[in-house]
Amino acid sequence: MNSFATRFDSHHHDDDQSDAAWGSQAGFGNLGDGSHAFNVPAVPDPTAFLRLHTDDHADPNCRIKIQHGTTTLAFRFQGGVIVAVDSRATAGSYVASGTVKKVIEINPYLLGTMAGGAADCQYWETYLGIQCRLHELRNRERISVAAASKYLSNLVYSYKGMGLSMGTMICGWDKTGPAVFYVDSDGTRLKGDMFSVGSGSTFAYGVLDQGYRWDLTDEEAQELGRRSIYAAGHRDAFSGNTCNLYHVKEDGWKFIGNYDISKMHYEGPGDVPGAPGGGYGYDVRTKGRFSVLETEVVA
Amino acid sequence: MPSMEHVAHPQQRAFNPYTENGGTILAIAGADFTVIAGDTRQSEGYSIQTRYAPKVFRLTDRAVLAVNGFAADGNMFVKKVKQRLEWYRHAHAKDMPLRAIARLIQTMLYAQRFFPYYVYNILGGIEDDGTGAVYSFDPVGSYEREACRAAGAAQSLVQPFLDNQIYFKNQQAAPGQTHPSHLPLPDVLSIVIDSFTSATERHIEVGDGLEMYIVLAKGRNTQGMESLHGVQELSSKLDGERVFVVRRELKKD
Amino acid sequence: MARGRTRWWWKRETRSVTVTQVTRSLEDSEERPNMAMELNGGSVIAMVGKNCVAIASDLRLGNQALTVATNFEKIFPVSEQLYIGLCGLATDVETLRERFRFLVNMYTIKESRAISPQAFAHLVSSTLYEKRFGPYFIEPVIAGLEPITTTPTDGSAPTTEFRPFIAGADVIGCLNFAKDFIVTGTASDKLFGVAEGLWEPDLGPEDLFETISQTLLNAVDRDAYSGWGAVVHVITPDKVVSRTLKARMD
Repeated sequence: MNSFATRFDSHHHDDDQSDAAWGSQAGFGNLGDGSHAFNVPAVPDPTAFLRLHTDDHADPNCRIKIQHGTTTLAFRFQGGVIVAVDSRATAGSYVASGTVKKVIEINPYLLGTMAGGAADCQYWETYLGIQCRLHELRNRERISVAAASKYLSNLVYSYKGMGLSMGTMICGWDKTGPAVFYVDSDGTRLKGDMFSVGSGSTFAYGVLDQGYRWDLTDEEAQELGRRSIYAAGHRDAFSGNTCNLYHVKEDGWKFIGNYDISKMHYEGPGDVPGAPGGGYGYDVRTKGRFSVLETEVVA
Repeated sequence: MPSMEHVAHPQQRAFNPYTENGGTILAIAGADFTVIAGDTRQSEGYSIQTRYAPKVFRLTDRAVLAVNGFAADGNMFVKKVKQRLEWYRHAHAKDMPLRAIARLIQTMLYAQRFFPYYVYNILGGIEDDGTGAVYSFDPVGSYEREACRAAGAAQSLVQPFLDNQIYFKNQQAAPGQTHPSHLPLPDVLSIVIDSFTSATERHIEVGDGLEMYIVLAKGRNTQGMESLHGVQELSSKLDGERVFVVRRELKKD
Repeated sequence: MARGRTRWWWKRETRSVTVTQVTRSLEDSEERPNMAMELNGGSVIAMVGKNCVAIASDLRLGNQALTVATNFEKIFPVSEQLYIGLCGLATDVETLRERFRFLVNMYTIKESRAISPQAFAHLVSSTLYEKRFGPYFIEPVIAGLEPITTTPTDGSAPTTEFRPFIAGADVIGCLNFAKDFIVTGTASDKLFGVAEGLWEPDLGPEDLFETISQTLLNAVDRDAYSGWGAVVHVITPDKVVSRTLKARMD
């Protein structure tokens, strides 16, 4: 094992002085010795405590709002993997943010998507990035998507029942070609061609299923991703604002663009390859061709 | 008069270590400055505990942290962040960069994932490249860099106003013109003051006093602050980034 | 153990149960937003200007997170210069619209004159209060111009001036005669914030239109349950201008 990797290898830590004390491991100081130090309330049932104060489905009045509501999708096709997500975060009915980055760039070959607890996804997928890099240093080769996703899956499974909330797709390209894995906080890990996660996923699946083929061109596939997120953004109150689109190919992922969902409704995504031109909106496309007459407001 | 005997029943009480202390915080990033503001009222339910409890704190010459939610957690959290920054100073003989402070705050919040600090944090300051920056956090550490953000009791009153006045949302630029991507300091300050007077008018938990911290990039002069009265400088040196605080009264009813 | 005692306690408290429960249910609805008020979503706002008023709403009808329709109007004309916005449970929007149409028609026939905004506000209030213990889940907004006719003592022709009038009410009809603006709906807190920042006294019809439009659009963009289109009515002494706004559709 090379000396650089040894420095970060948790199994050879005979130093009982925590580096975190010097503030030098500012990023992941609490993970310095390889074990995760989490403070837990001194109550008989810490999980129930956490649920009482954070789960807004159990009690809409609870103080700590953890964001939910999302549309994310990823699918495999001839030209690689398309990853498309919306950018809305809601707390109750309040749109807390319209600029959330729900695609987490784990490394140049791996992407993770974010649904459920924003912090859970951000933190553990960043942590996964560290572990993937250490894998590279130790084994002199890139980690496979299967291994990376299994690392995350095993990790969240060790916290099962503690209240972590994440529904993520780990997407990338390895020796086996394009790969998509669905991993969630229940411990589910699925390999597949197409997934959509979040409150708007049903709307996205509708468009996705209708337009999906394995031999889609790159442009067609990107358009399908955009169009599916638009559909979810339009119909689902908890999804919307903008669409972030990524394309994973053999040489790693590429950010394709950020598209305003309302702009897609009225004008389409703009001058991009694959776009049909014109808005996606039903009422925009069918202007003047309604089956019912406009109702007149009576006095 | 109900009999007292039913009170004698063994009562099960949930462990509730959290309260909500109201107030609102706000931060706006400019091209080469950042304004971080908060009101000074601290309340519990309908009672005002104090009319002056700071929610905005200078961390370094280029970083200011605003905390909102449960005041006890907030004060403890700021104390611990300051401690970690001091350790960093001792180890590296320099102040921690803003983006690193943001990541530090994420890990410190996430370390309490199963017993969260009930605190919404907004970090504002100057990035290494000299640009103004705002980072906003949820209580368990998810964070994002933004240009402006309001949090706390009146966030839903203030944020859409900011969307309109800072990002020019739903506004069309005059023909042949575009909206400025960054506003000048005097405009930002007046928007901050308007936001807080509006929030004070319509939200009972906001009021009493306003503290605005202004962080200026290295080498930027104090242009745009001339008309401000009662400016207090908090910088530790004059040749780096500079921090100022301005205090204003808000309605106390 | 204390089964008998418990029952006895119930009996003793019976007389005050109704009162207690009513108080409780009001407190509850204050703490936890009534689900019926958030089921369909939607928001309405009214603003006062100089010799004019404006009333505006979004166009969404949803079933919780699902957006069902984007052409659901919530503002209805009552008379030429009087509009009402009904915000809350969609089925009650329809019911109350018809009910107010009936009541106003009856009033107009009986009195042989148009109903004044002032009188209509009280009609709305008493109609809602009739259902005090099982209310319509509607918070109405009323906007109109109140005609003030003065007859000069010198015998010359009477002159009519129009005074802007807006009012709001809670679900059981407690009237609120604001001098600036009234907001209701799932985006009410957002509307309060923006309106407080943008509104100023004595706005002319065009400035008032811009102010109410900006307030509504920016507020509903921060509300998951409102938006998907908007309508604005500006009421002036000689005309009502109704406009449909291009709004975000997500």
